[in-house]
Parts: sequence; C-alpha cells; structure tokens
Amino acid sequence: MLSYILRRIVATLPVMAIVALFVFSLLYIAPGDPAVVIAGDQASPEDVERIRQSLGLDRPFLIQFGSWVWRILHGDLGTSIFTNLPVSTLIGQRLGPTLSLMMVTLLLTIVVAVPLGVVAAWKAGSLIDRAIMGFAVFGFSLPVFVVGYMLAYIFALELEWLPVQGYTPLAQGFWPWLENLILPAIALGCVYIALVARITRAAMLEVLQQDYIRTARAKGLGQGGILFIHALKNAAVPIVTVIGIGIALLIGGAVVTESVFAIPGLGRLTIDAILRRDYPVIQGIVLLFSFVYVLVNLMIDVTYTLVDPRIRY
Amino acid sequence: MDRRTVLKGLAGAGGLALTGLSAPAIAQGAAARTLRFVPQANLANFDPIWGTQYVVRNAAALVWDTLYGVDAKLQPQRQMVESEETSDDGKIWTFKLRSGLKFHDGEPVLSKDVVASLSRWAARDPMGLMILAIQQELTAVDDRTFKWVLKQPFPKMLYALAKNNAPCSFIMPERIAKTDPFKQITDYVGSGPMKFVKSEWVPGAKSVFEKFADYVPRQEKASWLAGGKQILVDRVEWLVMPDPATAAAALQNGEVDWWENPIADLVPVLKSNKNISVDIGDPLGNVGSFRMNHLFAPFNDVRARRAVLMALSQEDYMRAIVGDDDALWKPLPGFFTPDTPLYTEMGGEILKGKRDLDAAKKLLAESGYSGQPVTCLVAQDQPITKAQGDVTADLLKKLGMNVDFIATDWGTVGSRRAQKTPPGQGGWNMFHSWHAGADCITPAAYTAIRANGDKAWFGWPNSPNTEKEIAAWFDATTLEEEKAAIGRVNKAALDDVVYAPTGFFLTYTAWRKNVSGITKGPLPFFWGVSKTA
Repeated sequence: MLSYILRRIVATLPVMAIVALFVFSLLYIAPGDPAVVIAGDQASPEDVERIRQSLGLDRPFLIQFGSWVWRILHGDLGTSIFTNLPVSTLIGQRLGPTLSLMMVTLLLTIVVAVPLGVVAAWKAGSLIDRAIMGFAVFGFSLPVFVVGYMLAYIFALELEWLPVQGYTPLAQGFWPWLENLILPAIALGCVYIALVARITRAAMLEVLQQDYIRTARAKGLGQGGILFIHALKNAAVPIVTVIGIGIALLIGGAVVTESVFAIPGLGRLTIDAILRRDYPVIQGIVLLFSFVYVLVNLMIDVTYTLVDPRIRY
Repeated sequence: MDRRTVLKGLAGAGGLALTGLSAPAIAQGAAARTLRFVPQANLANFDPIWGTQYVVRNAAALVWDTLYGVDAKLQPQRQMVESEETSDDGKIWTFKLRSGLKFHDGEPVLSKDVVASLSRWAARDPMGLMILAIQQELTAVDDRTFKWVLKQPFPKMLYALAKNNAPCSFIMPERIAKTDPFKQITDYVGSGPMKFVKSEWVPGAKSVFEKFADYVPRQEKASWLAGGKQILVDRVEWLVMPDPATAAAALQNGEVDWWENPIADLVPVLKSNKNISVDIGDPLGNVGSFRMNHLFAPFNDVRARRAVLMALSQEDYMRAIVGDDDALWKPLPGFFTPDTPLYTEMGGEILKGKRDLDAAKKLLAESGYSGQPVTCLVAQDQPITKAQGDVTADLLKKLGMNVDFIATDWGTVGSRRAQKTPPGQGGWNMFHSWHAGADCITPAAYTAIRANGDKAWFGWPNSPNTEKEIAAWFDATTLEEEKAAIGRVNKAALDDVVYAPTGFFLTYTAWRKNVSGITKGPLPFFWGVSKTA
C-alpha cells in the first residue's frame, strides 16, 4: 500500500506539469494583456510597452514558460505581476477561507445527505422518500448564487441571525469563524447534499435487496443495525466516490460562493487572476488544484480498502 | 433572547468544546473607531506611479501626501509646501517645505525625497513629461528647499503638482522614489494622514489603513486634496466586494459603513432604508465615450465620423447606463466636464437637437462607405461599456452600417485597441470607454482629447486645429484666455470628431447614517469622516 501511495504521488508531478503547460499555453494565446490593465485606461501605448518589458511579457513563450519551470524546480511559485507579492504568500492568505468553507460544506453534506439517503432508501416509495428526493431535485437544480442570495436575504437581512459577508479566521474565535461560514456552506452544499443523498439512496436500495440483508432481518437484527452497520458499509464505495469527487467539484463551486459572500478565498483569487491575466498566480493555483485533485483521488482509493477489505492494491 | 443569540450560544458551546477558543469581546468603541469601506475595485497593487488605476490613486491619497492639493474650487493649494517663488522670467520655481513633516517610519521629509519623487512621477505623468521636456535641473537646495529650473516658463506648474488625476505627484522617501518608474515599489512608507498596514493586506480582498499619529495637518479647513486632513477614526478598512448585491446587503446589515459606488439598480433599495444615506458621490461625474479609428475606412473620413455624431442620441446612451434616474445624466455637446469653470458648448451643434438620421445616412454615403464591416469592440465585463456598445450597435445598424460586434472582456479590448493593423487583421474600428470628469476639466490630463496622430490615444486622431488650441490653453495665463482657448478646442475637436462623447453621467455613493463628514468629490476623502457606534 505504501509503495502504491508513493507511486501515485510521484505520478502527480507529470500530471501537474502537463496541466500547467496547458493552462500556460491557453493564457498565452488568449487575447488580453496584463500590462494594459496595470497601466490604466489613460496610459499611452509606449507606457504599456515599457511595463510589458519590465514584467518580461515581451519574451517568447518558451522562455517565459522555461523560466517559470526553473523557478518551480527551485521551490519558487513566482511573483504576482500585479501585487509584486510571492504567489505562495497570496495562496497562503486565501487557503484558510477556502479550506474552511470546503470543510464545513463537506461536514454538512455528510451529516445531512447520508442520513437522508439512508432514510429515503429505507422508506423507498413512501411520502418521506418522495419528499427527500423532491428536495434533492430542488437542491440540485438551484444554482449556488440563487440559493446564496435567498439565504442572505432571509437569514442575514430579514432575520439578522447571520452576517451577509466576510470571513473571520478560526484564531479569532469559533463562533465568529463559523457564523461567516454557515450561509455559504449551505449555499454551496445544496447541490452536494442532493447529489450524495441520491447516490446514497441508490446504493442503499441495491444493498438492501441483497440476500445477506434478508438473512440479517431473518436473524432478528434491528432496523438501525441493518441500515447503518450492514447496509451502509456495503454501500459505502459509491458514496465515498461521489463525496470525493464532490471535494474537487467544491473548488469550482467555491468560486461563485466566495463572490456572493465576499469570502477572500482561492476562488476569488483565481477569478481575479484570470481576469487580469496574472499568469504566475494562475499557474500557482492550477498547480495547487491539480495536486488537490490527484490527492483526493488517492484518498478515495485508499478509503476503498478501508470500507471494503476485498479491495487490494 | 433572539434566535441569533441562541445560535451563537449553541455554536459557541460546541466551539469551546472543540477548540477551547472563545469569541473575543469587542469593546463598544472599537467599532466606532474603524470605518469599513467598500471601494469601487480591488486594490490589486499599490504603487500610484507604476499603475494609474483610480482605486490605487484613491488609496494612495491616504498614505502619501502631495506638495499641492486641488480644492473643491479646482484651485491648487499648498499642502506640503510652505511657500513658493517664481523668477521674473517664470523659468525658476523655488519651493520650501513645511517644517515638521515626517514619514511613517519617523524620518523627516527632506528636499531630496521630493526631488526623487518628482523625478519618478514626471517620467510617467503627461504633464510631468511636458515639464521634463523643458527641464534644466531639479535640485535640492537644502533640507527644506528645492528648485526646479526650466528652459521656458510653464504656467501650469502648480496645477500639475496639485492635480488629482492619476498619477498624482505623491511624495515618497528617496529610497523608494528611486525605484524605476516602470517597476513596482514594495515599501509603502508615506507622510500622509494614514499608514498602510502591509501585514494585513490581502490583495483583492482587504486593505487596512491606520491613523498616522505624527501627521501634521494644515490649519485650513479640508477641501478635497487641500487643507487640514484630520483623520477622526483610528482605522479604515477597505473591503473588496465584487458582487454589488452583496455590498448592498452588507451596507443594509451594518457590516460595512460606506459603499463608494452602488450600482444604479440597487440605489432604490438603499434609498428606502432609513439607516442609509445616498447621494451623488463625485460631482465631476464621467464623460461617456466611444472612439473611432482614424487610421482606417470608414472612419478615416471625417464625413463618416460626423455622420455617426449627427445620428447618435446621447439620451439613449445615458439611459442605457443610468436607467430612468434623470438626476444622473446630462447631455454633453462637447468634451469638457459640466459645471466646471472652463466648461463650453462652443461648436457643439452637431450633438444638439433632433437627431437627423436621413442627413447622417447621406453624409455617410458621401464618405464612400460601401457596406464593409465595422469592427466594434465591446467589453462585456464592464457594465458601462456594455451598455454603450449595445446602443452603438443599434445606431450603426440604423445608419445602414455592417456591424462586426466583438463582445469580449476589458483586458482584451485594452490590448486589441492598441493594434494599428487594419480591422480585418486584428485591428478595430470602434471601442467604448468613459473618462472621469476630473480628467476632463482642462486638456492638462485629458489624454482622450489629444489629437496628435501617432502620439494620440487609441484611434490616433490627427487634428492640427485641436492641438493648436490645446497649446494655446497651456500658454494662457488668465482665466479669460483659458476659457477662449478651451472653447476653440471643443469646436475643433468636434469638427474633426476626435472622439464621440456619449453624455455626462454621475454615480451615487451610499453610507450608514452613523457616519458623518462624507463630502462629494472626485475621490473618496476620509479626512473629516467620523462614525458613531
């Protein structure tokens, strides 16, 4: 297992390099010029050209890419064109809010979606099942920003229970940290709760029809034991998979959520960097996201062995 | 006990169990001493000479002071300077600094700092470049005195040093000011009324400024960038909110105190809130514009440009930008900011009265236009340019033109508009923009009005008459001479259609009623602003 994990981690390096090259190339050929944005609207073409030269943007593609790779190999993610700050600093500033949002969302998803899916499967065909699946369709269909605005309107503006916007680090207190994350996590989590609930229900339904469940029932095992000990564990592989993939998808959802709730996370940093063509920042974020994606896939694979001992690597 | 308290209690209990941390008790006064402000855009970088975005200029005005400052009457007033002398021939300017000026690191402000700062500024500023072109020397005479020796008089010297157009001539310590003007500074020490808290800066999200205890304000009443800049709060936090609905909700909820630029759609909601004040933010407003490329057909022919001017309805453009709020716009038969001393409508007939589409079509035909595509660049990510672009597309179609509508983003428009290649080969025929009214008061910082061909702004208009009259304004020494020259500039620029003005529009600013002292101006002024809890 250890050698497998190591092999997988080593294999991430070329994946990240290819993704970074792809993104770098796309940005390079895309229209738009950071020097124009920096110089301001009233700048002369000569000013823009001088700024472009000072940033090295006038150099050929291969030299720019090569120089970036060289820095990466020396552990340097580069410097933002706009802020003149190290990319690692910028990412570090934004990592906390995004991780917090993802963590709370994930926790919310697991706590809400799995029991809902189990109950729906248990009561398959009943009113409760239809209500849960109806909620799932609703949650799956509503865009994050619509849910976000609705939540902000109701719980922040009308009821004044929670703040509209912002982020407070955990170091400043648990409640200040959490109260800023509740609404964004619900907004972001709606889709994933719906997705995980549906997958849980489907997986559970399949398992509940197995012979060993019938045997367990025949032996007189209680409903809770059947559902949560026998059935859920055996239905866990697809659930773990969809939760894992959800983590990667959360990154995309976080972009919109962070904008709606003014959370200074990686999503907003990404959008800002793309709009301004801040190449080093985009490359740094892409590398990080690629690594997270590969890591999550690895964690899913490893988790399989825990929930299903028949799986070996 | 309300629901929020219950929730807080529940979560707090859980949190304590999990982390052992508790929420800090925030003293009642702390909130009142921190002003939370939503700026118009990200403070993505912080060098007001390297980059000239308005948001950078606005933040820089807190941190760096200027030798002179323009006041609400648009007059330059002494700021860091105690006195100035001009030689009889107008070629030698000698300035003396106020005593007691200090930088945020405790060092005194000396003439050598000023010399280095002015040298860096002049390399990037249009007026600075004009001064550099006639400069003989700029030297420090002693710690508080410096001298600017010119080869010929430059009557607009004080205006150049006081103006609020970016880049302003901010004074930095010599070690910082010696940075190449095309490279970004990383040290943000100034002598302005507030210090920049670099450690708390999250570019694109949050910028923090703290009151500079050693700042010595002038004794006069503050007026825009001039006078006594009294800071009445301890801390100003700029919170970037890319989503207007979020900013509006945060203001309504009291999570922020002041929103610089609420969008017109949300103003009615804000006005209906009894805790919020809404008013025009910048009385100098903005001049809407689109530029035609003078290098290529059809707009290389002045008749085609005039045809467009004859047909365009400024009301259509303005309503597309500001909606139905008539208080927010004015027709603008010219190029200069309304309600300013040099405002003129001379030669503006072509933009006044009923629009004559038939006459415009006839003139367009006379220009030789024969249906070739007109490449119209429109940045969809900027509401103002998008609105104008939609109106222009409709206008051109009504004129019988074949519109090649390029919907793209501002960054792309910014780079493509610099292309001098023909429209079919990566170039363009039209693009849309707008100019801060503060930049359009005189030709001094009005890049868009310049018509010196290859050296002109994008579109490269070549109008010798316009240039001649701009030069006359620079040489003018009395207000009457200036007014006459500006009138002639307006007429010449309209005759040759240097660009197409689409109207004058204003924007709102909004703040909580527990904040007082906010004044109308071309940038948000934080001096004199106070807040109660």
